[in-house]
Amino acid sequence: MILRALRSCYSVLLLLAAWELFARSGMVPRTLLPPVSLVLQRTAIALATDTFVADLATTLFRLLAGLALAVGLGIALGVISAQTRAGRAIFEPLVRVLGPLPKIALFPVLLLTLGFDNTPRIVLVLIDAIFPVMLAAHYAARAVDEKLIWSARAAGTSPTGCVLRVILPAAMPQILTGIRVAAVIACVVVFLSEMVQPGDGLGDQMIRAARAFRSVDMFVPIVVISGLGFILDTLLALVRRRALGWAG
Amino acid sequence: MIRLDRVSKTYTRAGGGEPVRALSEISADIADGAFVTIVGPSGCGKSTLLYIVGGFVPASGGAVLVEGKPIAGPGPDRGPVFQEFALFPWKTVRQNIRFGLAEQNVPRAEADRRVDELLDLVHLRQYAALYPKELSGGMKQRVAIARTLAYRPRTLLMDEPFGALDAHTRAKLQDELLQIWERERKTVLFITHGVDEAVYLSDRILVMSAAPGAIKADIAVDLPRPRRREELLRHPRYQELVIEIGRMMDTTA
Ligand SMILES: Nc1ncnc2c1ncn2[C@@H]1O[C@H](COP(=O)(O)OP(=O)(O)OP(=O)(O)O)[C@@H](O)[C@H]1O
Ligand SMILES: [Mg+2]
Repeated sequence: MILRALRSCYSVLLLLAAWELFARSGMVPRTLLPPVSLVLQRTAIALATDTFVADLATTLFRLLAGLALAVGLGIALGVISAQTRAGRAIFEPLVRVLGPLPKIALFPVLLLTLGFDNTPRIVLVLIDAIFPVMLAAHYAARAVDEKLIWSARAAGTSPTGCVLRVILPAAMPQILTGIRVAAVIACVVVFLSEMVQPGDGLGDQMIRAARAFRSVDMFVPIVVISGLGFILDTLLALVRRRALGWAG
Repeated sequence: MIRLDRVSKTYTRAGGGEPVRALSEISADIADGAFVTIVGPSGCGKSTLLYIVGGFVPASGGAVLVEGKPIAGPGPDRGPVFQEFALFPWKTVRQNIRFGLAEQNVPRAEADRRVDELLDLVHLRQYAALYPKELSGGMKQRVAIARTLAYRPRTLLMDEPFGALDAHTRAKLQDELLQIWERERKTVLFITHGVDEAVYLSDRILVMSAAPGAIKADIAVDLPRPRRREELLRHPRYQELVIEIGRMMDTTA
């Protein structure tokens, strides 16, 4: 079991080994890139420290809240906008304009209007992570085979019923792929928001360590956020295997 | 009875290209319980006509009347079976067949009984828990037929349902369809490219001319029922009809 888990992520182990060797080779100063063994050791200690765990919990809460909102709203907006010609006409140009916009640039505005704790960060995660979900949902909903919808309509399903019981399930595999992209974005953005405006959370831990030149401590939150992303994606992959096995 | 009253269809293209005239003034009466087949060259509008009768695509002119009333969209009185099967890939065989019953809030126990009955009818009982991607083409089409039969439509609309199958499977499904039809006497509107299939199955064959489609001939198939394939193949009238209609198809193309 453990062996299999190790084998399935041996490329990660290789990466860590490369980091270790590179850091010990003397090509970069230890103060800039400490060996991963030290970082992992320190991570283990941090994970047993109340203050660090509190920051981790804060970040995790913001991450999951923002992601959950992005998933819910993204699916709803994407699928609903795909149903009518007007919806499609509004959706496409709007997404083209708003998609490339660097949302982090709006963060100062969010801070000033929504306060300085959780809300602006959750909103930032939401407006960044919603795009891959919304795009996937919209285009997948448009691509659903019309004969599936006709078959349901003939069986007595209402148009709304078709959206819920035909279009949504048919679009689910693509939507889940969108959610996996959104999860990665959410990890990046929540961390960024805590770096740009420190106060608490993993990003704040990292910034404070960096300012004090505690280079090992600086890498601990980085390792932890990437670990969170890894766990999140593994869970989503599990959902895919369990619930979307039909899609192959 | 289903009445097609000067049904015509012109597709306008979203891109703004030339509109396509697919059907021009199709009129026909389809009697209850009749097995009526439409044949015609590719692109003459056969599928379009079937989609209009199903209420999936609006006609540009004319009307489709069921029992004297113009149709308003799709309804469970007209059940489609498509060439591409169009099964719900996220549902098992059993769940696919059950779909229409669930949509119409048939009580659970009754729905279960009906699904079992249909699984037996199409010989799929031991495949009930499989997903569509795990089935062969013939099995998929059996599921599609059972899914449509489940909600007991009075009319079956079948668009080349056996077109994607190999000859052996097609013959088998033709026989099964005939058995079902002889027992339940549904009205069937059937589309095919196969003249022999049309003659084997139908009471009546409508031959369409090339686009924009119009009915060029209306042929009564005066062959005895119940039909047995071997007897029929030797029947002189069968051979005559196949040759006659085949010739018409050649001259319409
Ligand atoms: N959605 C559509 N938009 C525009 N034109 C269409 C559309 N569907 C069909 N057509 C056109 O209408 C005509 C009739 O098409 P249809 O699919 O009904 O023919 P068919 O007789 O079923 O052909 P086949 O035997 O190949 O299935 C064709 O010229 C086709 O290009
Ligand atoms: Mg066709």
